[in-house]
Amino acid sequence: MAAAALDSGMKPLQKAMKLASVAIQLDAGNKHEEANLEYLRSINYISQALLEDAAAQKSEMVPVEVQKMLRLAEQCLERVKSFAGKRVERSSAEVTRATLSASSGTAASAPPEKTAPHGASTASLEPPTRHRRVLSEGRGNASPFLPPEIFQKLQTAELQETKKELTPIEEASRLNQKLRANFEVRLARLPPGQATQKTSLTLSLQRQMMENLIIAKARQDALHRKMEERRLRLQEEANRRFASSGAATPEEQEQRVLYASILEYEQDHDWPKLWKARLKKNPNDFSQVSGLVSHLLSCPEHPIVKLLKNLQYRIYDRLYPLVSRCPAADSPLAMKSSLSAHNLQTESYSFPPAAAAQSRAGHTHSLSTSLSPSLAPYHDHNANREEGPLGEAPSLDREDSFEDLEQFINLLSPGCDPKLEVESYILDLEERALKDHLAAIVKDIHNAIDRLSSLCLLSFECLNTAVAKDQCVASLEEAFFPPLWSPLLALFRKVHRERELSYETSVRLFRNTTPSDIGVASKLFPKETSEHGCYPYESAVMELRLICKELCPQRKLDCIVRTLRLICACAEEYRSFHDPESPPKTAAIGADDLLPILSYVALRTELPQLVSECAALEEFIHEGYLIGEEGYCLTSLQTELHFHLITEDVAVPTGTCVRTPRCCKMVSETTRLARVRGEARLGKWRSGGGISLSVRQDRRCR
Amino acid sequence: MKMVQTGMPAELKAFRMAAGGAGGGGGGRTYSFKVVLLGEGCVGKTSLVLRYCENKFNDKHITTLQASFLTKKLNIGGKRVNLAIWDTAGQERFHALGPIYYRDSNGAILVYDITDEDSFQKVKNWVKELRKMLGNEISLCIVGNKTDLEKERNVSVQEAEGYAESVGAKHYHTSAKLNKGIEELFLDLCKRMMETAQADERAKGNGASQSGASRRGVQIVDDEPQAAPATGGGCCSG
Repeated sequence: MAAAALDSGMKPLQKAMKLASVAIQLDAGNKHEEANLEYLRSINYISQALLEDAAAQKSEMVPVEVQKMLRLAEQCLERVKSFAGKRVERSSAEVTRATLSASSGTAASAPPEKTAPHGASTASLEPPTRHRRVLSEGRGNASPFLPPEIFQKLQTAELQETKKELTPIEEASRLNQKLRANFEVRLARLPPGQATQKTSLTLSLQRQMMENLIIAKARQDALHRKMEERRLRLQEEANRRFASSGAATPEEQEQRVLYASILEYEQDHDWPKLWKARLKKNPNDFSQVSGLVSHLLSCPEHPIVKLLKNLQYRIYDRLYPLVSRCPAADSPLAMKSSLSAHNLQTESYSFPPAAAAQSRAGHTHSLSTSLSPSLAPYHDHNANREEGPLGEAPSLDREDSFEDLEQFINLLSPGCDPKLEVESYILDLEERALKDHLAAIVKDIHNAIDRLSSLCLLSFECLNTAVAKDQCVASLEEAFFPPLWSPLLALFRKVHRERELSYETSVRLFRNTTPSDIGVASKLFPKETSEHGCYPYESAVMELRLICKELCPQRKLDCIVRTLRLICACAEEYRSFHDPESPPKTAAIGADDLLPILSYVALRTELPQLVSECAALEEFIHEGYLIGEEGYCLTSLQTELHFHLITEDVAVPTGTCVRTPRCCKMVSETTRLARVRGEARLGKWRSGGGISLSVRQDRRCR
Repeated sequence: MKMVQTGMPAELKAFRMAAGGAGGGGGGRTYSFKVVLLGEGCVGKTSLVLRYCENKFNDKHITTLQASFLTKKLNIGGKRVNLAIWDTAGQERFHALGPIYYRDSNGAILVYDITDEDSFQKVKNWVKELRKMLGNEISLCIVGNKTDLEKERNVSVQEAEGYAESVGAKHYHTSAKLNKGIEELFLDLCKRMMETAQADERAKGNGASQSGASRRGVQIVDDEPQAAPATGGGCCSG
């Protein structure tokens, strides 16, 4: 406490200046860490000295001195603040990167490295592909998903890195920063007590900075005027192109504006012209199309890419509140990494009560977030989009509506336990609300891709052929989906949780089954269980497991097709092994054989999320593809996933498990449900209603 | 209200199997039809369809999914037709999800074994379900297979043909073993599906207001890549 006073001979101001000058020198030498410490020390010293002086009986410092000390402290604080600011930026980038790398499974425990080249291109939006592993290992409470702000920051980080040209104002402010740094160094070198010289230095600095700013301002204004003129000209051009017929809808207007900005972009960049010429030269080379689109996607300044990021963000922002609190979602998954029987059992048996508690605890909150669409059926979610996360809106009468609900139910069923009734009612409501959210988000995604692809076609007319359009959409989807897939899947899993759980049950039931238990013809698998722990159709199982690694619907579909092809190849091989006489390639695997094998393979993957993955694929695959081989494969897998529990003609392996009455009940219940669902689906489809179909209809109508 | 397929770009409908043959021949269009194969296990539907696809075409026309999913390209009266033939599992336990297999089908082939009365009853069940779900939009073929076992016949020809007529289906006799009646069956089915598709087009052409008449699942693919005009509102299609 006496530190300042005891330092004999030197006045507090002098000491403070000395400390600060050390800091400034370090700062100038780019030794930021050390400089930061020194600045802090100076501040500490100054405040200590001032405190002592103020507390003392009679002040020793003259007011001018105090003022100078304060100013010095202020400057030091300024530098410290800027360091801190940089660190925040860096650490948020690092945190996200750490999360990402942790989620990739390898570096879960590695501390974030300060030396990591932040903002390098490696920070590309790699989605948390395997976040569930982290979850199941850590059992952490932390949400597996990045908050939307960080998601956006990651997106924009990419943008800023590639930004090369500075506006005049930015240039000037850089220049001024340099001036200021020089000034500080010079100031520090001044011997103490040379007030006049210091004032002149300060004044000249201020003058220079002001001049810089004025010049920059003028240049900026001129540039703005020019840009504005050009923008207007291009907008007119865009309007002409849209053959304006008077009243345009907001979407049309938005498209015009976007198109104008594309024209603007194309005036500043040459590559679009080059690509257009190239495509004109080889109109039938469709590899050029994906080349063009991927080049386009690598240009963060292009309006289409900006729109893509923006749409991605909006969808992420809608997904986040729905999936960020979903500790239950990983439950069925625990099987994947920790398949010990013990773990499995506790996992699934303890599940229902845990889930109930979970939802009870989360009622008041989750109600407000998840009920919004169903509480407000006419609520226009488009309008809501701009306002950030959903669910803030209907919170106003949450409590009241809750009580009303309780009373209402009391009136209805005086005999029953009202608490229970309310609970199941709420669970039901929540479920429906989630479904509505999901439907709305699916629709948004379809719309987003439609908008992006139509903008692409607008700016590159050469893409306007059947195959090129198709390719273009595929490339766009490949860029659009990956960062969104895991939260999206999480939502699908929430909605389909019951089905996943029952699927998990049958995975458990049939864990040690042989293909014949599932109804596979005996000629289609090897008799002896082979050595090395291999099992029949292992390659197909491995292939199907890869579906979770893909992050784009089309690629997932390809994975399913490869799985079925592998099944056929394996079956053929096994069959010819049984009966070497028969001619090779008799190609006799029909659906009667295929489906039981597929059942076996799918159960063997031990991935309950297949249920949700398939449900998602059904929403996002273009129905145009669904008539061909891909469609057949997807349909077959879906059939399998729906019917895994229907075991009338399946021998349950003896010894491995005993079917409890509960299981039996589940089996029959699932059969019934599946039947109802199958019909309901078709009914919906016929009536043109239904979630997925109404979406598709919309798309078609546009 | 039925599903409509209004503004969806026809190009997107070009399913993959058709993409390879897009270059062939003069203008006009390619019809793409989905045909679903139904019937109890052991009635011989797999051999039926294999016979059909193997017979005239060599092995490469058989996809890597073997007999489960087959494609075939035809030329009928100067029109190109792509057939996608979907086999379904005969086992009882897979039946309830039939709807997801046969949705969007243009045709269905329902196979029974003439020596097995039970398999004919199953066909009747399928017909009921298909008519209930898809109405009259789908062309139905009822096929009595294994005519090579005529001596052991358990389903009378009269009964079968009478039933088929009563439900608006056509009846065929086939023998996969002797390769009889199969070619005719598929050719006939294709012609009927084309008629239905053309009737739809006409209905669509006559009045846009009759949107109910446009039928889901008719896959008409314009495979001449046409450079779309650079102007006009067409640019909003996506």
